[in-house]
Amino acid sequence: MVRLSLQNIAVSEGWFNRLVVGAVALGFFALLVVGVAAFQSVRDNQFHAQWVSHTFEVERAIANFDALMERAETGRRGYLLSGEANTARTYNEASAQLGSALGRLKELTRDNIRQQANIAALTALARRDFAFMDQSVRQVRAGHRDQAVKSFQVSVPLQLMRQIRSRLSAMRAEESRLLEIRNQAQRQTLRIFYATIVAAGIILILVGSGSIWVILRYTRDLTRSRDELRSLNADLEGAVRERTTDLQRANDEIQRFAYIVSHDLRSPLVNVMGFTAELESATKRLAAMMDRIEEQAPELADKDAQLAAREDLPEAIGFIRTSTQKMDRLINAILRLSREGRRPITPERLDMNAVVQNIGDTHHHQLADKDIDFSVPSQLPAVTTDRLAIEQIFGNIVENAIKYMPPDRNGGRIEIRGRVDGSRALYEIADNGRGIDPKDHERIFELFRRSGAQDQPGEGIGLAHTRALAYRLGATISVESELGRGATFRINLPVAFAADQGATT
Amino acid sequence: MNNHQPVSIVMIEDDEGHARLIEKNIRRAGISNDIHHFTDGTSALAYLYDAPDGPAHAGPALILLDLNLPDMSGTDILGRIKAEGNPLKRTPVVVLTTTDDKLEIQRCYDLGCNVYITKPVNYESFADAIRQLGLFLSVIQVPDLPEV
Repeated sequence: MVRLSLQNIAVSEGWFNRLVVGAVALGFFALLVVGVAAFQSVRDNQFHAQWVSHTFEVERAIANFDALMERAETGRRGYLLSGEANTARTYNEASAQLGSALGRLKELTRDNIRQQANIAALTALARRDFAFMDQSVRQVRAGHRDQAVKSFQVSVPLQLMRQIRSRLSAMRAEESRLLEIRNQAQRQTLRIFYATIVAAGIILILVGSGSIWVILRYTRDLTRSRDELRSLNADLEGAVRERTTDLQRANDEIQRFAYIVSHDLRSPLVNVMGFTAELESATKRLAAMMDRIEEQAPELADKDAQLAAREDLPEAIGFIRTSTQKMDRLINAILRLSREGRRPITPERLDMNAVVQNIGDTHHHQLADKDIDFSVPSQLPAVTTDRLAIEQIFGNIVENAIKYMPPDRNGGRIEIRGRVDGSRALYEIADNGRGIDPKDHERIFELFRRSGAQDQPGEGIGLAHTRALAYRLGATISVESELGRGATFRINLPVAFAADQGATT
Repeated sequence: MNNHQPVSIVMIEDDEGHARLIEKNIRRAGISNDIHHFTDGTSALAYLYDAPDGPAHAGPALILLDLNLPDMSGTDILGRIKAEGNPLKRTPVVVLTTTDDKLEIQRCYDLGCNVYITKPVNYESFADAIRQLGLFLSVIQVPDLPEV
């Protein structure tokens, strides 16, 4: 259940994560586009502003030209009326500047065909106008003032002037039309710019608030999962403690149970054994009586009764006796296991080389009899644990190795190796004896179970006892073997015994 | 030997078979003293303290005690018999039980048990133990002689 829901969360989380990353990337991409658009519209705006100012410049040039024309005309008229050289200078100055003013106007409106046409017409008109004006000025200078004044009555210059003015106003109209267009364009780009800015703002707000929402969500999720983990952890510790207590209680229960059962089983056994012995002695007396009857009154001798007293009864009693003896051994084994489980563990620093050497010395005779080479090739790691338990574990395995070494094996050997792996010490007891069928690798550690040919005495207790002891020390024991190839027993044991590590088995 | 007060044997044993085997072996060892058999602690204690022919009022006795009784633990009875100031304090108690647990044996000796015999499944050693009990019985009879 828990795993399933976690998986669901993980799946939706993945999907959600992709969505969030996509959305954020899209947001930033939109911002980039908006930025480019804003840049573009600013540039457009600049471009249009340039053209607007250009239009103003053109208008200024037109006004300048207009003013110069007026000044020239005013100067001429003043000169005609007064004949003063001063006024003639005004005319001359203005008319001298007119050419360049016209040139500038032409230069400025080079891009506009309509204005060029206007300017061409204007130039022609201005030229004709100046021809008249120059003529009248020359007449005054030559002293023919009357003729010059009379020329006022001629309508040609007046018409020319009117035409020039209308031409100029056409040019102005053209420029204001352009100005209108350009202003509109500028306003348009400004609108686009503002729209872009607003869009950017909205996207920024969206991306920003989205990011904040995602961050908040993540933070909340993280906090929640951290809290869950913490409470789960606390629960776990509690559960482990509870479980350990339960196990301890169950173990104690089994200990007591085994102890009581073995005692109560023994009590009837004493009776069986005792009365069997009574039967035996009674049978002996019966058999003796049969002998006497046979001797003294052969006619009373009954074949069946003789058979019963001499063969059937002793045979039955023999079977009862061996069975009870075996049962007694089994009960004693259970009793020993249960006692071993109750014995307190007293950890001490053990020099394993010395322990193993001691075991080798204990079995010196058997090793010599079967010509087995008992060796410890390198230094064994030292451990801090219960001496008696370790001696029994190693002793049992070595004893088995000797016991099941085929007598005809040449160069039998038992080798003990060891190394440290982190906080665990690993030992191997390897022999080249008869080996254990792989299907029995677990079975041999069970109580009263044995493997292979039953050619050696034993009840199937040693390895069960060994494993129970190993568990108590927080150790594990396993075997690797092939029939006929010997066996290697592996003991994995904590370097230092901790009270809560071992199980009381 | 003719006039001395005979030692009666009080056997507290819940298993009839065990009781019978013990009795048989005692008789076989040539001991003919009276044997009073009780299968539970309560009636045994009643006899020990209150019966007019019981050890508290009449004559010396030897107590054979099994530790596994249905109504109380044998060690409780032992503790009561061997308590300070008890009239039966000097009465020898032989604990006869199936337990060969070292701690339990120790506890019985601490409480004042005189002999501890494990009921073995091996009948020969059991018979031996009972014979030794007979020897023990003859030894405790000795102090009674000068009194006569």
